[in-house]
Amino acid sequence: MKLFQRYNRVNLLITIVIFLLASFTFHYFIVHVLVKQIDDDLEIEQREIQTYVKKYNRLPEPIPVRDQVITHTPIPAPIKEQTFTSTTLFDSLSNGNGIFRQMVFSINVNGQWYKILVAKSEEDTDDLIEEILLIVLTTVIFMLLASFIINRIVLKRLWNPFYNMLESFNQFRLGKKQELNFKPTDIDEFELLRKTMQQTINKAESEYHILKEFTENASHEMQTPLAIIRSKLDLLIQDEALSETQSKMVQSAYSAIEKLNRLNQSLLLLTKIENSQFEKVSVINLKQKVEEKLAEFLELWDNQQVLVTAELKEITILMNNELADVLLNNLLSNATRHNYTGGRIAIFLDADHLRIVNSGNRHSLDEEKIFQRFYKSVQSSESNGLGLSIIKQICDVSGFTAIYGYEPGIHTFIIRW
Amino acid sequence: MKVLIIEDEEELADSICTYLASEKFICEKAPDYQTAMEKIALNEYACILLDITLPDGNGIDILKELKRQEKIDGVLIISAKNSLDDKVYGLKSGADDYLTKPFHLPELGARVDAIIRRKSFDGKNVLRFDELVVDLNEKTVTFQMQLLDLTRKEYELLLYFIGNKNKVITKNAILNHLWGDNMDMMYNYDAIYTHIKNLRKKMVQAGAPDYFKTVYGLGYKFIIP
Repeated sequence: MKLFQRYNRVNLLITIVIFLLASFTFHYFIVHVLVKQIDDDLEIEQREIQTYVKKYNRLPEPIPVRDQVITHTPIPAPIKEQTFTSTTLFDSLSNGNGIFRQMVFSINVNGQWYKILVAKSEEDTDDLIEEILLIVLTTVIFMLLASFIINRIVLKRLWNPFYNMLESFNQFRLGKKQELNFKPTDIDEFELLRKTMQQTINKAESEYHILKEFTENASHEMQTPLAIIRSKLDLLIQDEALSETQSKMVQSAYSAIEKLNRLNQSLLLLTKIENSQFEKVSVINLKQKVEEKLAEFLELWDNQQVLVTAELKEITILMNNELADVLLNNLLSNATRHNYTGGRIAIFLDADHLRIVNSGNRHSLDEEKIFQRFYKSVQSSESNGLGLSIIKQICDVSGFTAIYGYEPGIHTFIIRW
Repeated sequence: MKVLIIEDEEELADSICTYLASEKFICEKAPDYQTAMEKIALNEYACILLDITLPDGNGIDILKELKRQEKIDGVLIISAKNSLDDKVYGLKSGADDYLTKPFHLPELGARVDAIIRRKSFDGKNVLRFDELVVDLNEKTVTFQMQLLDLTRKEYELLLYFIGNKNKVITKNAILNHLWGDNMDMMYNYDAIYTHIKNLRKKMVQAGAPDYFKTVYGLGYKFIIP
């Protein structure tokens, strides 16, 4: 759920509750005030009657007034208190029953006690309350609507920098040397977020570059000692007097150097790809390129009696020529290395993908990990575990996707562009 | 024939020198740009091995100076830089070949041999070993006038061995020479065994002696038995 949606919900609920409470209180007070008003009127009426009696020594003639009823009935003894009550009385003027506020008191006229009842209709009060409530309710609804709309528009606009930041953060890739185009905002929190993100990214970027530089330098620095060791071994084996044991040791040393060298080359290549040293792209006739590679590998496959079939369509793509070579090399050597004598390899080149299917181990590679560096399906395997990550890296910089699939005994790699 | 090794890494220069000297070459070493320039000005070399990253200058400048002086020395760049661009740049600047470190000494030997052949015998490119005759133009091999029917790889292999005759060549070095970048997947040496076996058979069938001598588990040596 989006932040402002949740905020809106809470806001709306609380507003409604507050308005309801306020309306009830409002209603109560209005009723109270209006009834007090009537009661005051009734008291004035009472005083008027009392003054009249005192002055003229007789009860005033009841004058029929709209919404007002005055009656007097002789009683034997005075009523103790005056009381205010609401009651239903017949209204002669409106010819119907209505709610009245009445007041009863007693008065002595020439020794005779009278019970005087003064009543005023509450009809007007009710009307007033109704009208007030209507106005309040309409205001409430309009206010809710307005707040909802304002929230939607204003919040959306307020959160805009946040979503922009998120968007550009999403498109950000470490090591691409791209500038993050976070626009400065005048909202303190977002500005803080922007600065923090920018700092974090800058730090990560610089550390990433240091690491990459390290890999490249280390690989480069390793070349010379490797070259010396290898040349010394080359000289050593020219010695006629080498015993069989010594030869074996030299051979082991050779193999180790070979492995180290391959590892070094692969790391260098990966770093170079990451450093965007292969940015120059050209139109490549993929069919032709695959065919050239097939010719190179043919001898190898003959040796291992691997049956190779190829269905190639005429396809041209845009990518770096050197990387295309490495990609095909790695894919084909991968399919060869993990195969067995008498196995099969099938290559399909289609409009939007290259598919290489090979027979191999009766267990799937770990799809999550295969493209990670130094992943090996078999720990003791001769490969250095960089071949597939090189494939992945090339796909990444070329805008392709690499997909691995497995059916019992059949491994498939698809490069989609 | 004189070879100049312009390489700041003394140990490597020594190895190269030892390897090449055991053949027909007189080696001289130049550990830096200055020494190299002096030596070039004074002497003629059949081949110059040039490391392009030197402590006091760029090897490419030496190359340009050679071209300016119109010296005919063959130049083989040996460099730790292995990108295509570096190679293209090196070759465009006038080098005859480009070899990336770390290399096998026999590979270097074969390349130096090829450069000198190209430079010295322009036109009549014929290579002799015992009674084997290799016509480099026609890419044919004959033994006592008898034509051997060799595949491309077998021909390359034979040239490689002749270029490094009397030396022990490891299987790794052969792999590297024949398959170059693709060699990293050739973990078994079956392909080499097959090639050597076939080459041997074809030569023996033509009446030649077995020039290949197997050296323990290490590799082979091409010698006149």
